[in-house]
Amino acid sequence: MEMTEQIEATVREVGARVRPQIDEAKRRLSSLDETVTEYIKENPGTCLLGALAVGFLIGKIARKA
Amino acid sequence: METHDQPNMANDRSEDPSKTIAQRMDRVSDSAQQAWDRTRGAVTDLKRAADIDGRVRRNPYGTVAAALGVGYVLGGGIFTPLTARIVGLGLRLGVRLALLPMLKDQISELADSFGGEIETNKGRRGGAKAPKSGER
Repeated sequence: MEMTEQIEATVREVGARVRPQIDEAKRRLSSLDETVTEYIKENPGTCLLGALAVGFLIGKIARKA
Repeated sequence: METHDQPNMANDRSEDPSKTIAQRMDRVSDSAQQAWDRTRGAVTDLKRAADIDGRVRRNPYGTVAAALGVGYVLGGGIFTPLTARIVGLGLRLGVRLALLPMLKDQISELADSFGGEIETNKGRRGGAKAPKSGER
């Protein structure tokens, strides 16, 4: 029982220590997602042409490899 | 025809060469402008017809991924080992994702049926014993 309690306490402690970092990472990812989405919506032509070019290059590289 | 061309050629030769070059430059510039306008018009028409702006607004990541895929195909990457690997991985994942719920359902049905059989057997045994105990 003591062993289980110790493990539980350790897990709780680690969780409490890691939780703020996870929350921060979540917040950053969400902000990045918003930024990227906004950029794509504001510059659709550029993004599509860029994606087309990147895809073309990857295709060329895959063909050569 | 030749008689008409000769005086023209003579006129051309007699013209100032700098003027001719300037005229040609103007013509080239005009035709380039026209070509640019036509291209812009065609791109605008295509955008309107395919509703690209609307699609991008509704699903930005999907549209970019589609453009990436189109570029990949245009780049000749479709019949390559990389594509085979990606398709294989996708198929494996898809089959697993599709099969797992099915297997889970089958197993739970089997477990239910076994559980039901066990219950009925217990009931039968219990039922068979009960009358005996009741008889006693």
